[in-house]
Amino acid sequence: MTATLQGAAVRGAPPARDVLLDVRDLRTYFHVLDGTVPAVDGVSFDLKRGETLGIVGESGSGKSVTALTVMRLLDIPPAEIVEGSEIWFDGREILSLPIDEVRLIRGKDMAMIFQEPLTSLNPVFTVGDQISEQVMLHLKVKRREGLERAIESLRLVGINSPERRVKQYPHELSGGMRQRVMIAMALSCEPKLLIADEPTTALDVTIQAQILELLKLIQQRTGSALMLITHDLGVVAEMVDHVVVMYAGEIVEQGTVHEVLLEPRAPYTMGLLESIPTVEKRGGRLSAIQGVVPSPFNLPPACRFQPRCPYAWERCSSVIPALNTVASSGRLARCHLHASEGAGRLPAALEHHRRAMAVGRGVAAQSAES
Amino acid sequence: MSAATVSTPAVRARLRRRPPDQIRRARAFLYGYVALVTTVVVALVIGATLLRANAAWGILLNVSPAAVAAVLAVLATRGFRDRTIWSFVLAIAVAGALILVAGLMLNTMLDPAVDAACRETAEDEADCGNAAFGLGVVAGLLLLLGLPVIWNLILARAWFFARDTGGPAIATAETLRRETAASNAPAPSAASAAPVAWSDPSPAWTGASRDDTSTSDGLLVSVRGLKKHFPILGGVLRRQVGTVYAVDGVDFDVKRGEVFALVGESGCGKTTLGRTLLQLTPPTAGKVIFDGYELDDVDEDDMRPLRRRMQIIFQDPFGSLNPRMPVSDIIGEGLYAQGVTDRADRDKRVEDALEIVGLRRDYTRRYPHEFSGGQRQRIGVARALALDPDFIVCDEPVSALDVSIQSQVLNLLLDLKRDFNLTYLFISHNLSVVEYFSDRIGVMYLGKIVEMGTVEDLYRDPRHPYTVALLSAIPEPDPRRRRKRLVLKGDVPSPAAPPSGCRFHTRCWLRERLGNPEQCATTEPELRVIGGTDHRAACHFAEQIDTSAVEQIAAQQSVLETAAADPA
Repeated sequence: MTATLQGAAVRGAPPARDVLLDVRDLRTYFHVLDGTVPAVDGVSFDLKRGETLGIVGESGSGKSVTALTVMRLLDIPPAEIVEGSEIWFDGREILSLPIDEVRLIRGKDMAMIFQEPLTSLNPVFTVGDQISEQVMLHLKVKRREGLERAIESLRLVGINSPERRVKQYPHELSGGMRQRVMIAMALSCEPKLLIADEPTTALDVTIQAQILELLKLIQQRTGSALMLITHDLGVVAEMVDHVVVMYAGEIVEQGTVHEVLLEPRAPYTMGLLESIPTVEKRGGRLSAIQGVVPSPFNLPPACRFQPRCPYAWERCSSVIPALNTVASSGRLARCHLHASEGAGRLPAALEHHRRAMAVGRGVAAQSAES
Repeated sequence: MSAATVSTPAVRARLRRRPPDQIRRARAFLYGYVALVTTVVVALVIGATLLRANAAWGILLNVSPAAVAAVLAVLATRGFRDRTIWSFVLAIAVAGALILVAGLMLNTMLDPAVDAACRETAEDEADCGNAAFGLGVVAGLLLLLGLPVIWNLILARAWFFARDTGGPAIATAETLRRETAASNAPAPSAASAAPVAWSDPSPAWTGASRDDTSTSDGLLVSVRGLKKHFPILGGVLRRQVGTVYAVDGVDFDVKRGEVFALVGESGCGKTTLGRTLLQLTPPTAGKVIFDGYELDDVDEDDMRPLRRRMQIIFQDPFGSLNPRMPVSDIIGEGLYAQGVTDRADRDKRVEDALEIVGLRRDYTRRYPHEFSGGQRQRIGVARALALDPDFIVCDEPVSALDVSIQSQVLNLLLDLKRDFNLTYLFISHNLSVVEYFSDRIGVMYLGKIVEMGTVEDLYRDPRHPYTVALLSAIPEPDPRRRRKRLVLKGDVPSPAAPPSGCRFHTRCWLRERLGNPEQCATTEPELRVIGGTDHRAACHFAEQIDTSAVEQIAAQQSVLETAAADPA
């Protein structure tokens, strides 16, 4: 996680060998009728082989677009990947590769699991056809061998009697089974990077537990790296090693899962954690983040979280905050509180957060008054 | 459900039941007849005016008895709602009169003497033939319509002659309106907690102040044996080939001022239960007692005064607001239906409601697409709140919202509950939200409540294996609590073919651990009291659940065995 942001890797030069995916200053803009949407605006992170990375954010924060850009799945135009963005995957810069070469990587070395399994599976082909198609393409094998691989990967994701299942159509399977098929499809070519975009959002709690446990097991067995995109901090806590928190197209905080979830340092992450209802907050009000996510056409001038931030002061609406290093190395938060100018305000903010986490802000305020 | 475990709630009055299908069919026939006669009369008047033909006026004269009969028919249909012999007599008499008139007309038309007289007096002989043809058409249609009315009424005759078997008094719309008026005119609390008091202290329905006849047991809503089954139609003839047991025998009480939550996975019937409870879909069996009024397959017109007091907030803020209506109409529609017909008065109340949910007063002329998800859900809340209800069914009100917006809406709901003395039925699949938000919980699985109790009882000491698994499956936003989950096998079975005995036995981890006892697959467990006073669970082996052993079981199981078992 640390290399790029400390400037260790030089622009245009490949990252260290153990880094599987290195995204550098990625900017993906959409040109639409109403103007330009900076969906991803200067995002940098890396992912080492076999590690797990969680990208967290609300709808519209740019987390899915990041994944689609990495997969080179965006239509250009309307999308535009701004000059200077770099994505290094397995030692190659993939944004500059011709699309034919990307097709050789996509599905083989990096695979994606989509959110809604029903809409991402083709309803007119059998499950076996859909899985074996990419096996046949990438591994240059015959149809029969492709089907055998498909059966093998269905067995790997815990589907009973896969010989029968490969002949079924998506509508014959339940939601959990479809998501297992999606995972089987992604795994069929043994990818080095697995991107899961909200893999459990459309599923019930008990099925979600099945799928998450399955993803963990698969990742242990195959040793592939996992990039998990979700809005659910619970899923993140359960699954990943490193977390990137996104807000309005920017990274606002990144670090290990323990650091980010237990000691958040960006006001947005703090607010998110405070607003999650827990039993400790019963009886008190949840300290909700004020307002709504800003419109991408009309972003605040400096800090994008400033209008909703309880700790904001004048500087926040005039100077764009940098991703400042917090405490340990590799721990970053985009907030002036962690620059020298805001250091004086930091303890009060942290105290505020601690109270809000304990009992909810309403109760905390009342007890402070009495 | 045995009487020993569930108390019988006090019933003050009950609402008239919906008349049987045949009555409604006969009524529909009569309405159709009225529409037809009106059309014919209007067409003839227009035709006569345009053509200035004297013969056409003559036809009009002949048809006018039919118009009189039509008015009588409408009056008769009103009587169908009362189960009295006189309404039966009246209805049969009117339907008979229709046929009589038709017969007379036919008779006149076919009488050669009349026809001959016509041909003598009329200037043009062709007029007579046309008149006779027109009369024939009208008479034929009258016969066609009159006979089915009588046939349906005769089929449903038992309903007219049935005697009321004692029981609580019947409340009609008029008495309800009087009794429920001012049920909860919001009393501005001393602390002035409400952000805005209602600007009009006496809405249309708060005329009289009701003497407090509310039930003494403190229950606002009681549900007893509620069932809702949907038919599965199939084949060319659309015959019923199966039944979806969406809600299959549910009993619970909601106390005044509490939040009762229903949790369960999709397809467990929690949304259907909420809708059936509000009588938005007629229940298949069972009844609901709301504030002492027994609702059992109610008559829609009588239900209206109570509808004001029971509102619903829908799950999807994008699907539940009509995109072609401005906010003033979306919120004002319910007010209009409840008798606030004055436009200015209605708009004022809409603005009040908007302000209470934290939106600006001048948003009334905007359309739903101009709002974000959180704002839309606030509009949904305002729509429910504008009618000053006692009881709100919140059907997954925050599931479609982002985390930061979700907490805003939850806060709003809690504030409103305090300010307006609301009682919530909170339907959700999110166990963390439920734990924070509610007082008592019912866990549903395949149309039944499998466990019910206070939040403390249920979360600390779950007594049904399904609840244990649900709780274990919650992902907590705390990496220190990362643990092996107890993962259930397979998927929820289809509610069209629920498993025998205990519905959970096909996925039950406890049953497996106890060596698959026969009882689970043969005998349906009762929702019985366990431990605490109000903690119930429907499991034969509820006492054998050891929460400390759960982690150990979780560690032993293999994820790969959790996919759905193959149907043999």
